[in-house]
Amino acid sequence: MRVLFFGHLKTLAGCSVHELPADELSSDELWALLLTRFPAFAPLHAHTRLACNSEFAPPGARFTSADEIALIPPVSGG
Amino acid sequence: MHLHVEVIDWPISPGPTVPPSLAGPAGALAEFRGLVRNDEGGQPISALEYEAYSPMAEQTMRRIAREIGGRHGVLSARIVHRVGIVPVGEAAIHLVVAARHRGPAFVFLSEFMDRLKQDVPIWKIRALDRTGRPLAAPPVAPTPPP
Repeated sequence: MRVLFFGHLKTLAGCSVHELPADELSSDELWALLLTRFPAFAPLHAHTRLACNSEFAPPGARFTSADEIALIPPVSGG
Repeated sequence: MHLHVEVIDWPISPGPTVPPSLAGPAGALAEFRGLVRNDEGGQPISALEYEAYSPMAEQTMRRIAREIGGRHGVLSARIVHRVGIVPVGEAAIHLVVAARHRGPAFVFLSEFMDRLKQDVPIWKIRALDRTGRPLAAPPVAPTPPP
């Protein structure tokens, strides 16, 4: 499952995309895996939203390997 | 509502304003340009660098514009956000909105910018100093939205 990183998270991860070894995950399971691989994300976890196929994911969403997942840290456009 | 939304990585040009078909009904044309200031956190800078999740940013801006525009009876809106390195004094975002009266046009600009800063996946990722080098600290601390 591909996960895209942006903004400060991309800097912390040192990459813009990461492949997770899973075909289906809940949002909690996704975060648990990500925090294992990228502990530096922890302070931003509470402020980062998940997006699925270019839409913000509702709480409790489930994702499959066909989805494009993105972590959306606090935005700062304009 | 006629709508044009774009994320680009080159300088924003004025572009077309009111579609010809709306030139009659439109009684107000309002514009907002968000410019890069010459300081960030008290330090002089030469530019800001922006990054976007472009497909989602465009989709989200379209959804927000249709929602606000529909609520206020806006006739048309053109929204362009620039990403990459944007020098001081140049526009990072340009909105042009047409409506029958000035009130809805002004409200659209204000409400859209508020929503953009909450929900549109675009980030200032670094500020560049006068020599073009990144400042040590990120331009915007990763804090939650208000």
